[in-house]
Amino acid sequence: MAVGGPSKSHGIAKRRAMADAVIGHVTDAGRARRRRFGLRSAMRRKSMTAFLMTSPLIVLIALLVVYPAVYSVNLATLNRSMEHFVGFGNFLFLFNRETFWMVVRQSCIFALTAVLFKAIFGFVVAHFVHNIPAKGQRKWRGMLLVPWVIPPAMSCLAWLWLFDPSYSAFNWVFEKFGIGPIPWTGDAMWARFSVILVNVWIGAPFFMIMYLAALKSVPEQLFEAAAVDGANFWQRTWYVTLPMMRNIIAITALFSLIVTFANFDIVRILTAGGPIDLTHVFATWAFRVGIEVGDIPLGASVSLFMVPILTVAAILILRDINRRGNEA
Amino acid sequence: MTAIATAASAGGSTRGARRRSMSRDRRWALRWSYFFLTLFAIFFLLPPVYMLITSLKTSAEVSAATNPWWVYNPTLANYAELLSSSQFLTYFRNSAVVSTIVVAVTMLISVPAAFALSRMKFWGSTTLATGVFLTYLIPETLLFIPLFKMFAVFGDATGIQLINRWWVLLLVYPTLTVPFCTWVMIGYFASIPRELDEAALIDGANYRQVLTRVFIPVALPGLIAATIFAFTVSWAQFLYPLAFTTSTDQLVLPVGIITSLIKGDVFNWGQIMTGALLGAAPPLLIYAFLMDYYIAGLTAGATKG
Amino acid sequence: MRGKLTRRRFLATTAASTALIAMPYVRGSHAAGRLSIVLWDHWVPGANNTSKMLVEEWAAREKVEVQIDYVNNQGNKLLLTTGAEAQAQSGHDVIALATWLPSDHANQLEPVDDIMEPLIKQNGALNATVEYLGKSQGHWIAVPATIGSQIKGPCSRIDLMKQYAGIDVQAMYPAGAPPKAENWTLEAFLKAAEACHKGGFPFGIGLGTTADSVDTAGAIFHSFGATLVDAKGNITVKSDPVRQALEYYTKLAKFFPPDAPAWDDASNNKWLISGRGALIMNPPSAWAVAKRDAPQVAEQCWTHGMAAGPKGRFAPFIPYFWGIWSFGKNKEAAKSLLVHLSQPAAVEKLVAASGGYDLPSFANLTTFKTWAEEGPPKGTLYHYPNPYNHQILSIAGAPAPPKIAVQIYIQGVMTKMTVRHLQGEPMERTLAWAENEVEGFLRT
Repeated sequence: MAVGGPSKSHGIAKRRAMADAVIGHVTDAGRARRRRFGLRSAMRRKSMTAFLMTSPLIVLIALLVVYPAVYSVNLATLNRSMEHFVGFGNFLFLFNRETFWMVVRQSCIFALTAVLFKAIFGFVVAHFVHNIPAKGQRKWRGMLLVPWVIPPAMSCLAWLWLFDPSYSAFNWVFEKFGIGPIPWTGDAMWARFSVILVNVWIGAPFFMIMYLAALKSVPEQLFEAAAVDGANFWQRTWYVTLPMMRNIIAITALFSLIVTFANFDIVRILTAGGPIDLTHVFATWAFRVGIEVGDIPLGASVSLFMVPILTVAAILILRDINRRGNEA
Repeated sequence: MTAIATAASAGGSTRGARRRSMSRDRRWALRWSYFFLTLFAIFFLLPPVYMLITSLKTSAEVSAATNPWWVYNPTLANYAELLSSSQFLTYFRNSAVVSTIVVAVTMLISVPAAFALSRMKFWGSTTLATGVFLTYLIPETLLFIPLFKMFAVFGDATGIQLINRWWVLLLVYPTLTVPFCTWVMIGYFASIPRELDEAALIDGANYRQVLTRVFIPVALPGLIAATIFAFTVSWAQFLYPLAFTTSTDQLVLPVGIITSLIKGDVFNWGQIMTGALLGAAPPLLIYAFLMDYYIAGLTAGATKG
Repeated sequence: MRGKLTRRRFLATTAASTALIAMPYVRGSHAAGRLSIVLWDHWVPGANNTSKMLVEEWAAREKVEVQIDYVNNQGNKLLLTTGAEAQAQSGHDVIALATWLPSDHANQLEPVDDIMEPLIKQNGALNATVEYLGKSQGHWIAVPATIGSQIKGPCSRIDLMKQYAGIDVQAMYPAGAPPKAENWTLEAFLKAAEACHKGGFPFGIGLGTTADSVDTAGAIFHSFGATLVDAKGNITVKSDPVRQALEYYTKLAKFFPPDAPAWDDASNNKWLISGRGALIMNPPSAWAVAKRDAPQVAEQCWTHGMAAGPKGRFAPFIPYFWGIWSFGKNKEAAKSLLVHLSQPAAVEKLVAASGGYDLPSFANLTTFKTWAEEGPPKGTLYHYPNPYNHQILSIAGAPAPPKIAVQIYIQGVMTKMTVRHLQGEPMERTLAWAENEVEGFLRT
């Protein structure tokens, strides 16, 4: 892109200046010679150092994540009383259950809808914050990020109380306007709405912050050029803003998709999957089937079913990150 | 919206001869912006404000179902009860200790690892970086039973009790914080110009010195942001402490609040909201003071390479 | 250091004193080991102190070092703790077990026939539900606990029932006297529900999947003789009693609050305390909280028996148990402790401390003073422990094999059936769905 041009050369000059400032003035030729020399000796110590530096990470992940995960896979192949090996039996069993497919559908719809609204909200709010003068932005940004900072377990309690069938503060207000009491968690459609609402409430600020930062990094000249060409707001958004932010939009959305898909707390605290299992997602249903009912292998199977779906999302994210890295 | 459009298109720059109409359009755009921002702010801040209001009510007032948005007989009794309850203070202390140590451990693990992964291209580094990210795919609900069994076996074999002790959380929380912190630090480190560390290497520094003398100072904002993130995540944990700690003196705050303020089918909402607010306070306070670093850290990957 | 009391000497002592059971665990001055126990965390303020005092009394006498952990079931804490300890074969020695947990972990619990038999002789018989839940393959695997056990019968508003339904609950179930409840049938219940609903104070019965909702549905189903799975494990979903039960309960459910399908265990409490309902199915916890927060509601509450159906008068009974892990390290001491906690004197103290909420499961222990005297209004709890034995105490899902019944219970199949049929699904489709669900529960 033409835009990269001017800023890139500017960047290189800046970096060179920084390097000089850090280590003092050296001639170009001398520097080149010494670079080769210095690196080669460093190379020898490199793998050792690298290994030492990453070993705590590897040990942590291997011991406390990979090993238990493998054990869970093993669990998922056992029968209910964990005495016999049944291979794929648990998965086949799940495929025959109506409730399981309902949970799959619900999880997907929940995750996709929630992420979509979070992205839209985040995008819209980011624009508004970007519009106001810089010194006010800090204050507003601060206020708007609060939902994401509060521990979800705590804020879900507040929402639970706000949605309470007998004491809902919302219903109290609506009653004054003659709108009947809304069964926030009692009716299937309202329950789904409520769960998505709380998820959006918690997650939208994160999107806002990411999009705001990305908005700020779009050079003003682009907007001015478009304006000079006679573009209105919508055209500018479509042709300039969105393409420039495309990678960030994709990465944030996909990351949020993974986290939302595996969400446990919100559904568990607000609806526990009800009414009649119409708000169950994978994590909560796995918990009910595995722990509450006592069929641990089946619970493990349900949880594991998430992994292929999440892996696809993860691969997409990583591909996008790499693409962004190449483009920059 | 067209008002905003034309105004915004003239946006940050005040060049041009249309100054008078621009400022009027700009004012309208600002008004609309503030209007919608206020709406959103109300939406986002409603629940915490409601928590505050409820926490000032007595149990009787809560049950009486009077105006839920106003306190008729405000009382600090809920706060007094909780803050003077040794149980609550124990929960608070446990949370604080666990979170602080986990943050330290996380930083000690992820910073060197991020440095190695972003700078030293060794065999398997890309696979490892991907693998770190993929650990997010494995949900807690899947892991806690095998982990419990592992800890029990460990406790029997070595005599060090892990089950029902708060220090077991020091082992499991990092699995949640390290992947993301590593990823953020990799993003930060990757944006530091290579000339810096290559120059330092030429000067004879080994990798450790490059890390401590060059990288950490330059990437300090990212470090702080990762620290804040690790703290927030540790503080908010629910499932792992619920599964691994049982005795009252070993519980951390989220679990403690929920299990001691909600008993049987009796919910004490005034106290619950107080507890929830107090439980949310530390992350909120840290966030309030270190907001810029927090936001900068989150957006590290967004703008830098 | 552990005492050298052998099992034989223990049993010999037991056999020798069937009338009064005082279990000296060890004679001598050397330390007698440690015991770690989990007790159900009581919601009644101060009730934990009584249980603690009783345990420490025993511990001082037997010179055992005891560590008590109070755990309630919020966030499924008790369930998780039990499951994890069973999996890891490590944890506490004695553990409080909610309703279905003894059968869930039957093969890891120490058989306690040796202490149950003398206890039954001393305290009276146990009802069939307790045997169903506490026995596995003919052996007692847990001791019924007083703490936490409850009957979830009707708790009505005297004034509202009189005004709208024309029923005087105090006359029907007078304090201090046997019940006069021949006309308290499910038909009368239905009529009363309709009347109160019209009057604006519906019955607050939930249709969710938490225990309160499932228990009521279970009692109703039993009243028609309806079971989803019989004692042998055969599926009996598509049977006439089930159809009748479903038919009745759906009719009744029309008069429940509109969001009943999402009610949890606290919803009916709030319904009563806020003054919006004429009747809920709950133990006295709701009334106790109303005493503190809404006294004008509390003094109109009356706990009484359930209505009778074609096949009998069934009330939901939820026993808790105390179990001893078979991998525990101090089982003899544990047994001694449980015997101590089941003595009439101890039980009476526990009942008093809980304000009458806790229910011992033994037949001779249902007439303590506490229930007669709790108030206001005085006598409101007199009929709570079913003193005249005029209702059958049951649990939803029985008599199916416990491993199947627990799934029917936790998954709330009966309430879900009702909700589906209530929302318009034809009965045969609902039954087909239920049958499919239950088939899934037959997994081994």
